[in-house]
Amino acid sequence: MVDHNMPTKKFQKEMNSGTASLVMLSVLSQSEDPMYGYQIAKLLDDNRQDALAMKQGALYPVLRSLEKNGLLSSKVEPSVSGPPRRYYTITGDGRETLTLWTEIWSQMKSFVDSILEGESDV
Amino acid sequence: MYRSVEEYLDALKKEMQGFDSATMQDALTDAEEHLRTALETARESQPEMDAAATLPAIIEQYGSPEETAAAYAEVERRTSPSLAQSVNRKQRTGLGRFFGVYADPKAWGALLYMLIAFVTGVIYFTWAVTGISVSLSFALFIFGLPVMLLFLLSVRGVAWLEGRLVEALLGVRMPRRPLFAPQNIKWQERIKLLVIDKHTWLSFLYMVVQLVLGTLYFVVLVTLFAFSLSGIAIPILQEAFNISVIDTGSTYYYLPQWGYPLVVLAGLLLWTATMHLVKLVGDLHGRYAKAMLVVEQD
Repeated sequence: MVDHNMPTKKFQKEMNSGTASLVMLSVLSQSEDPMYGYQIAKLLDDNRQDALAMKQGALYPVLRSLEKNGLLSSKVEPSVSGPPRRYYTITGDGRETLTLWTEIWSQMKSFVDSILEGESDV
Repeated sequence: MYRSVEEYLDALKKEMQGFDSATMQDALTDAEEHLRTALETARESQPEMDAAATLPAIIEQYGSPEETAAAYAEVERRTSPSLAQSVNRKQRTGLGRFFGVYADPKAWGALLYMLIAFVTGVIYFTWAVTGISVSLSFALFIFGLPVMLLFLLSVRGVAWLEGRLVEALLGVRMPRRPLFAPQNIKWQERIKLLVIDKHTWLSFLYMVVQLVLGTLYFVVLVTLFAFSLSGIAIPILQEAFNISVIDTGSTYYYLPQWGYPLVVLAGLLLWTATMHLVKLVGDLHGRYAKAMLVVEQD
């Protein structure tokens, strides 16, 4: 059940942009080897549910901004066929940040869940 | 809709009119890398597929040019270039603004850049002049051509490197990496593109001119610094070391003590004014470097 009216789309977009950095840091922290954009997009695709349809093109600026903040590092390597690819790796700073963000995320998640399930004393 | 990656990139380029040219270049390289990789992957799984038929599905997943442009705009809005965040957090008044230059990382970055420019200027000039002379004199022989091409390639490399330096120290956005040459063209075409691209030659010119600019920056900086410092140091030199202001060998002129505050103040003011000058020159040089070294999207 995916609603495509305007407020819902906007809500999806905001949720996506809020979580994209966390997701990408996490993907790269679990990967042994450096990954390039298309690989990450594919991996997310395999796990994605309908509601989380974030455009693949929106991953790239997020990767670049994470790199700019020193949470990722990258290098360009030529590929056998096609254009060179930019391979991203998580940095030490990135791992520390991920731990923090994971903490924030789980607090946020349990907070929202508790409100949604009506367990609060409102 | 889009029958080739090039068409998509053209549309994206149009969509990103008015964006910072370096951001646009980032977006174009990212899109090209993704779309081509996706096409390649599709081709591996079904070799007889038609690129024009597969592309719409790939683009659907990647996002339309409008969506992609919006994504970059969004992220760019949240993260500005390395030093640019420092622009006046709050508006201060006259005197505070004048001395506030010491707290401005842009001024210090520009100062460092101007000092480094002296060294890099000499290296660039030497490399450019050696390269072009060797290339021209070898042009008589058949192996002159490869030497020339290698040299021109190195010029593009230096341009990229200088771009990184300018972005780090002057806070002007420069491309993260050179633009891809169009795909599926022969290497002869590639070479032709390298030779006829005006940025190859503008970068060469930049390397030559950098010697003059680097020297000028260095000389002006050192002179102003020496004047400022001597103003500040006069009281100490006279009182503690008994060194006179003017010493002709036979006559010694000592500044009277009431003059101390004046020369110290003059020295401080001169150096603060120099910092403002440095910031201004850094700003101008950044714009000039961008015009010379970066392939503008049009």
